[in-house]
Amino acid sequence: MQLQYFLLLAAALFCIGIYGLITSRNAVRVLMSIELLLNAVNLNLMAFSNFLDSILIKGQVFTVFVITVAAAEAAVGLAIVLAIYRNRDTVDMEQFNLLKW
Amino acid sequence: MAQFLLETVWLVPCYALIGGILAIPWSPGIIRRTGPRPAGYVNLVMTFLALAHSVLALQLTLNQPPHEVFIPWLSTAGLNLTITLDISSVSVGAMVIITGLNFLAQIFAIGYMEMDWGWGRFYSLLGLFEAGLCALALCNNLFFSYVILEVLTLGTYLLVGLWFSQPLVVTGARDAFLTKRVGDLFLLMGVLGLWTLSGTWNYTELADWAANTQVDPTMITLVGLALVAGPMGKCAQFPLHLWLDEAMEGPVPSTILRNSVVVASGAWVLIKLQPVLTLSPVVSSFIVAIGAVTAIGASLIAIAQIDIKRCLSYSVSAYMGLVFIAVGAQQDDAALLLVLTHAVAAALLVMSTGGIIWNGITQDVTLLGGLWTRRPMSGLAFIVGILGLIAFPPLGSFWALLKLADGLWGTSPWLVGIIIAINALTAVSLTREFCLIFGGKAKQMSERSPEVHWPMVLPMMILLGFVLHLPLVLQSLSLLPNWADLNKDVALLLIWSSIFGCSISAIIYLGNIPKPVRLPWKPLQDLLAYDFYTPKLYRMTIIFSVAQLSKFADMIDRFVVDGIVNLLGLFSLLGGEGLKYSTNGQTQFYAFTVLLGVGALCAWITWPFWGLQFLSLIF
Repeated sequence: MQLQYFLLLAAALFCIGIYGLITSRNAVRVLMSIELLLNAVNLNLMAFSNFLDSILIKGQVFTVFVITVAAAEAAVGLAIVLAIYRNRDTVDMEQFNLLKW
Repeated sequence: MAQFLLETVWLVPCYALIGGILAIPWSPGIIRRTGPRPAGYVNLVMTFLALAHSVLALQLTLNQPPHEVFIPWLSTAGLNLTITLDISSVSVGAMVIITGLNFLAQIFAIGYMEMDWGWGRFYSLLGLFEAGLCALALCNNLFFSYVILEVLTLGTYLLVGLWFSQPLVVTGARDAFLTKRVGDLFLLMGVLGLWTLSGTWNYTELADWAANTQVDPTMITLVGLALVAGPMGKCAQFPLHLWLDEAMEGPVPSTILRNSVVVASGAWVLIKLQPVLTLSPVVSSFIVAIGAVTAIGASLIAIAQIDIKRCLSYSVSAYMGLVFIAVGAQQDDAALLLVLTHAVAAALLVMSTGGIIWNGITQDVTLLGGLWTRRPMSGLAFIVGILGLIAFPPLGSFWALLKLADGLWGTSPWLVGIIIAINALTAVSLTREFCLIFGGKAKQMSERSPEVHWPMVLPMMILLGFVLHLPLVLQSLSLLPNWADLNKDVALLLIWSSIFGCSISAIIYLGNIPKPVRLPWKPLQDLLAYDFYTPKLYRMTIIFSVAQLSKFADMIDRFVVDGIVNLLGLFSLLGGEGLKYSTNGQTQFYAFTVLLGVGALCAWITWPFWGLQFLSLIF
């Protein structure tokens, strides 16, 4: 096993997340893409922790924190989506372009 | 006391200037209760003071060498501008003529301007003119002569434009200012060019310099031509002559001064510059040519005019042309004498016609007639004016013309022919004017025409007496050419030309030839009557090109210069208008731009590692 493959997998996952983040019309899918991004990061952290810092494993500690924060962020994100949905009866990202020029 | 008067003769222009300033308060806007008349009286007193002072000083200068007075004016690095006054019998004599004529013109104006409210302005400008002319007579420095000429140009503008509610006055004043200004500006070029050549502006030193110097002939020719251009405009010479015609829109009393003295101010400078101008034969022949063309052209035009004042103004141009011929032919004594005799005679003619206009109302000679029996004083004055102007012995101009013709006889006889021709033509035009005004039957406009009141007749009669006495005065000052040395043939020719001109004209206009007289070829008559169509000529050449050029420059300014700057503004405006659409409200678009930015930044930072090295780093 080599570090690069983990990193490449994580990068692929990150890019897939980016693609989802930019192209999804459903706001919930945007949040899901963000989760993909965070998980790609977590994969990176875990890989680095195993291959470069196997004694102190600070990367794993980071990962735990990221998972926690990601959970909180997803909760708040869903709350925001709900709040918008209550007002506008839709979660289509293309309907949310009111704050332009 | 006597010496004191001579030493303080430079006060004469100051009297006139003070008189001019004192007249201002009686402008209608300042002193409202007294009416305008005190302005005239105050000015008259000051002019009389100036006249008395200069007459007393003249007696003292007669048998003395001229001396100079220096008044420092400005001294900067490498340039000392010192006002040089030349106190000689010529300059003081000129001041006597100026103040004397102005005194008479002011008395005349008291009568003529009786029904006018503008005395304050009128008399203050007359005072300014008197001061300027006296200062010019005294001034022995080319630079300050130029300064004074420019002040007088402004004065002409204001004086011609006295009755500015008349549209023709406004255009006349404009033309008088601009035409003279153009000449003066050329003169300025000449004045500055002369400084680099000679290093002095003092006329005496200039004469010394000119006597023993070797300069580049092209250079001195160009400088000389520029120096001539100033007097050309001032003296209403071709092609800068239209202004004098249009300046006849001004009030008659100022015309007295203008026709006699103001136009001569250019001739005065020209005469003083004669040593410098002689350096280049081209310039000399140019002066002669201009003078000859003007003299012939203007005296022909004068014959074809129907306006009393314009008949006279073209004669003035013609006589100034004779002065030019005299200067070009190095006859400056004759030129000075001619200026003197012309001044008094021309002033008398204008005074006489001014009286006719005053209660004849019309200025059209074809509407006047038969005034001789009722206006003998004006008629006599006119006759004496004619005789004083043309070569009629023993009156003044005969001697001046004789001296001039005699001086030219040996060198260029064809110029003598021109002088004789001009004398005859002037005789024709003046006699024509006399016959049309005073001869024949009374027409509607002149049926009831009383003689004018004393303030206008008195100066006329005094001046008439002076014109008659001028030969005696000249003789006592031994200014007359010596009869024994003169060429009697020339004298006879001149006399015959005068008699010929006068009698032809009298026969035509008093005889039974149908009036108005028509030339067999009408276009020629129109050509002369319309002054060779000079206004059209100006409009088609100079005015047209300057107007087009200024329109073009205006367009460049509006569209190109302004346009470039406005384009910059417009560009930034459109930039803002266009770029604001980048804020399109889509959160995902913002995320995309953030990613693009981060990606670009990363690419930039990792740029050195790109290529095979980068791949080897990964794999």
